[in-house]
Amino acid sequence: MEEFLDNGLKKQVRQVFEDLKEPVTILVFTSAARCEYCEETIQLLSEVTALSNLLTVEVHDLDAEAELAAHYHVDKAPGIVLAGGRGEDIIDFGIRYYGVPAGSEFGALINDLLAVSKRESGLSKETLAFLAGLQEPEHLMVFSTPT
Amino acid sequence: MVLAHRLALESPLVEAEAIEATEFMDLVGKHHVSGVPQTTINHGTRDVVGAVPEHFLIAEIEKALKKETGS
Repeated sequence: MEEFLDNGLKKQVRQVFEDLKEPVTILVFTSAARCEYCEETIQLLSEVTALSNLLTVEVHDLDAEAELAAHYHVDKAPGIVLAGGRGEDIIDFGIRYYGVPAGSEFGALINDLLAVSKRESGLSKETLAFLAGLQEPEHLMVFSTPT
Repeated sequence: MVLAHRLALESPLVEAEAIEATEFMDLVGKHHVSGVPQTTINHGTRDVVGAVPEHFLIAEIEKALKKETGS
């Protein structure tokens, strides 16, 4: 398969990644039976994580590793979890992508990696106060298209 | 960064999924996605269409919470 990222874009992303602080692990859940774009997703994320030593990609199977998938509440493929830390010290923040994070989602992915790595949400004081007062789990699904 | 993801980063109670609509048309149908981006709160308690500012999304989540608790 041809590479997704050309040299110019790699250079740009590497520059952004100079600000990375803590390790980030991307867990990708794939499925042989029901996933049209899993290969593309794995390749794209492998190319991205190759640009920094602080980034790791782990590929898991939604069906063979059902318990792990359930732990992360992942029920579709490609399902992507952006987590802090790596190895035994993974911190799940509840950040998920479903589908190839290409097109307009690519920029969002790069920014998300940076924010998770720096633990910086950039949210307002008011929003942080609201979040601190939450009592029940909140579930958000954001639908978008690549263009 | 995706706004919903920022919320997830700050709160252990928030889980946020960014879904590529064209790859999951069943979900698009199930959640009556009429325009993108659409943010579906708690599986459909409220839907927010459009890229909205932070305070607006929080207000919508508050409305969803009120609807859920019936207050």
